[in-house]
Amino acid sequence: MRPCGVFDKSYALDIAIIRTWQHWAILISALLVLYLFPLFGSYYLVSFINLLSISIIVVLGLQIVSGLCGQISFGQAAFMAVGAYTSSILTIRYGVSFWLALPLSGIMAGAVGIIGGAPSLRIKGMYLAMATIAIHFVVIWLILHMQITGSFKGLYPMPPTIGGFEFDSDERMFYIIVTVMIIMTYGARNLMRSKVGRAFVAIRDNDLAGEVMGVNLYYNKLLAFFISCFYAGVAGSLWAHLITVVNTEQFTLLHALEYVGMLIIGGMGSIPGVFFGVLFIRILNELVMFASPALAKAVPWLGSSPAASLGLIAFGLAMAVFLVFEPRGLAHRWEIFKSSYRLYPFAH
Amino acid sequence: MGKRWGVFLTMVLGISLSVVGLTGPASAKEVAYLSLADYTGPIAGLNVPADMGLEDFIKEINTKGGIDGVTIKFIGIDTRYDVARAVSAYKRYRRTPRLLMVNSISTGIGKAVARLIEADKKAQIVPGDGEFQAHISRTFLWGPAYQDAFAATLDWILDDWKKKGKSGAPVVGYLSWDNPYGREHLRGGTEYAEKIGIKLLPPEFFPPGTLKHDVYLTRLANAGANYIHAGGVDPTPTNVIRDGYSLGLTKTIQFTADYWGPTALGVGVHAEALEGTVITSFFQRGEDARNNAFVTDQWKKYRGSMDSFNEVYGMGMSWGMTYVAGLKKALKAAGYEKLEADDMYKAYQELTGLEKNGIQGPCAYSPTSRLGSKVVKIYQVKAGKIVPITDWREAPNAVGLHSFK
Amino acid sequence: MIEFLQHSITGLMIGSLYALVAAGIVLVYKSTHVVSLAHGQLVAFGALFFWLFLGGLGLPFWVGLIPAFILTALLGLAIERVALRPLIGQPLLAAFLMTFAIFISLEGVFVLYLKGETRTLPHFLPEGNLVLSGISVPINQLIGFCVALLLFGLVSLIFKYTKLGLGMRATAEDHRLAQSAGIVVKNIFSYIWILSGVVAAIAGIATANVMDIYYMLPYIGINGLIVAICGGLDSLIGALIVGLLLGLVENVGAAYLDPLVGGGIKDVAGYAVLLLVLLIRPYGLFGLVKIERI
Repeated sequence: MRPCGVFDKSYALDIAIIRTWQHWAILISALLVLYLFPLFGSYYLVSFINLLSISIIVVLGLQIVSGLCGQISFGQAAFMAVGAYTSSILTIRYGVSFWLALPLSGIMAGAVGIIGGAPSLRIKGMYLAMATIAIHFVVIWLILHMQITGSFKGLYPMPPTIGGFEFDSDERMFYIIVTVMIIMTYGARNLMRSKVGRAFVAIRDNDLAGEVMGVNLYYNKLLAFFISCFYAGVAGSLWAHLITVVNTEQFTLLHALEYVGMLIIGGMGSIPGVFFGVLFIRILNELVMFASPALAKAVPWLGSSPAASLGLIAFGLAMAVFLVFEPRGLAHRWEIFKSSYRLYPFAH
Repeated sequence: MGKRWGVFLTMVLGISLSVVGLTGPASAKEVAYLSLADYTGPIAGLNVPADMGLEDFIKEINTKGGIDGVTIKFIGIDTRYDVARAVSAYKRYRRTPRLLMVNSISTGIGKAVARLIEADKKAQIVPGDGEFQAHISRTFLWGPAYQDAFAATLDWILDDWKKKGKSGAPVVGYLSWDNPYGREHLRGGTEYAEKIGIKLLPPEFFPPGTLKHDVYLTRLANAGANYIHAGGVDPTPTNVIRDGYSLGLTKTIQFTADYWGPTALGVGVHAEALEGTVITSFFQRGEDARNNAFVTDQWKKYRGSMDSFNEVYGMGMSWGMTYVAGLKKALKAAGYEKLEADDMYKAYQELTGLEKNGIQGPCAYSPTSRLGSKVVKIYQVKAGKIVPITDWREAPNAVGLHSFK
Repeated sequence: MIEFLQHSITGLMIGSLYALVAAGIVLVYKSTHVVSLAHGQLVAFGALFFWLFLGGLGLPFWVGLIPAFILTALLGLAIERVALRPLIGQPLLAAFLMTFAIFISLEGVFVLYLKGETRTLPHFLPEGNLVLSGISVPINQLIGFCVALLLFGLVSLIFKYTKLGLGMRATAEDHRLAQSAGIVVKNIFSYIWILSGVVAAIAGIATANVMDIYYMLPYIGINGLIVAICGGLDSLIGALIVGLLLGLVENVGAAYLDPLVGGGIKDVAGYAVLLLVLLIRPYGLFGLVKIERI
């Protein structure tokens, strides 16, 4: 965000992600506050940021395949499960260290994602979306019916360690999760500006035109799926070692739908949008969940379960109202805000 | 910034402020109970009436001034059967002052929360996973483990088989949900069947919400099943047995169900189809529950007409009784000021033999046992009513037969 | 052989329910290009409204049917007018997410009313089984099956021979062209949601005839979605054929494959078929193949 009157004086400045010293100041102080947060923030907020960060990684992946490349995917929860299980199996059965298992689980999820994304060359739009739903159920079913995944019993991975130091609490895992989240965000932000990112956008806007211009459709679509699932796999691995219990009930279609919801509410094709969308849905979810008991306490004749149903209604309505007012997502509003800030004090 | 956007922001702010306003200050002397229940998901049929019973029971205690002046705060969270939501909710409430007990309803949630419970030195209760009896920890079961109750059903089957004067071993079919709950009965149940000489057919599994169960039932029938055990949380067993009835199987095959089987409400509607079904239950059902004045008085006081009375309501009350008994012991041992969840954990282990007004058998919690009670009662549907056909009888220890890794 | 036929017939009966659910989704997609997740809730509410009049108020079957249809149609209309109309011209994904939001809200209403209980429709159709050379078919399901076939015929006739149907077909072809030919596209949207509501009510009543009305009922919408996609989102005949086929595959698959893999085939059979069909025919079996131009 540049205020009025700041111009790029060199090429390096023109392509920089962070353009002014004010930006650097804001970024560094924000990172400082974030990293020092466990020292003063409450335990609940720390664990909430963990949850947010994991969701952000998943939705960043979704942003790449859906927002940039235009291939709608409802398989993100299943790919997260692949990552979580890979990481658990590697650390429990083969004694691999978490630090190696983390990228490996991303690669494994990416490999499964390539198989899952293979139909994308032939199938488009809503049909592809439904195909990914099918992939979700097939993956979950396979996990449930294999021996190595612990079948119905699930797996119990251990918290990561580094030289005897155990990351066995939310406060400790916070540093790993947030660091990975920042690296992944940086990666996604840069990917958008690279040749690959531009190829993705070409495919999204018109794949035939893109192909005519020399974009290899199959390679790029599969690459998009690979990267997207890599993100989901890494998130799954983090989740597994945070919660230390893995079973398929943690990865449902409802989660996959929620991730797509976060993407749309945040805004397609925008990295800040991912943050907005995740924050919106997660905070709404928590508000509704914790408003219900408060409501039940304030109105004693209501009871707990009707209050919970009311919460569900409120969640749906809030999402619907939001979509009516902002169908293009919060990132759209953010862009409008940015451009009006840049032009201030002029109107146009 | 359009006007509409302003309106929207105001709405969001208004809602959040009203939410904040609702969470008022806590009263003077208070202990908390957290229920991670599924009020709007697949097992709502079980969770809603049970927590109603508990909530009303706690209200009753609080209006009478609580236990030694300490009132109980009931926190009911809707998890929607979602592990991530439940874990987040637990983390939100774990620092609640004097949160003495957590009720984690669902196999997945129970296992995920158990780890946190250990680390926090708290205590929780979960439905009936034998694993928690095999590995003693801070997790208590509501009643006997699933496999123990299933073994009791097998015992009854063997008795019935002999009573009918038939020779050889009875053949038993098992069908249930395709999830961890559906398989829990067999971890120990299979071994028990082998031990007492019952032939258990290969189990059948189907997803919750299946429309027709004909395929599974015919396969079990063709394999020569004399008895079929229908698992799943009601209305699933009711629907399974209805399908069996319309296939004409109920004439030749005896259907059984576990304690999440048909309740009096379902039996009232499908009397013809469910006729003869045998239900193994660790809490009072049907006519028994309706004759228990302790339960029905509370229902009438808070819920009105007995038409929609659900027996599970009584089971919820029994959680409350255990909690109150544990609280009394813990208060005596530690006093209100120093009271912690760990005291409640110790107190629960001393509750051996606690009577629960007949709703459930005597409490079996002890340092070596995590079972809420060891006894079950066998019920049968007769002329549209659920009537007991045995007295309380001890469920065999099937958990001990299985090796839990 | 008899056994195979029996499993097939049972599968076909279930399949007709899937087809009925899918029909509503296809109707909505055909003219509005919105894939509706909310349809499962419309189905459940159709059943619930019918129960209210039949079981709750004790009205006779034919009398109870009409207010149930009207209420479900009104619910469909309300969804269109309040939630989806503001999204005309916005990304289709936003509309899809909107139907998900509606699904959640309506689910809240559904469980708020039921409070975890189940409702069962009283027997309004003849009981008993029809036995034909060793194969038995429950009569009430057979009636449901015939109703499904009739309904598909009726809706097809409406599409083909009425002026309203002509308008719907024109709208399905191209919104802007239809508008310039003097068809009020917004009104067509309303009519189609009303029609879809009525179809949903019929599907709901037929389903509740087999299964109780409880929490899981709305989730039959997912099966409807698979069928609609497999058959081609804009093809009614596709919904019918694939619906019947899916019921068949699920049931026969469960009968013969379950012992081989240790159970649970019903979970994935439908999805496996969906993937296979889409790989061979990307626009479903009977869907309109779009010729793409730059």
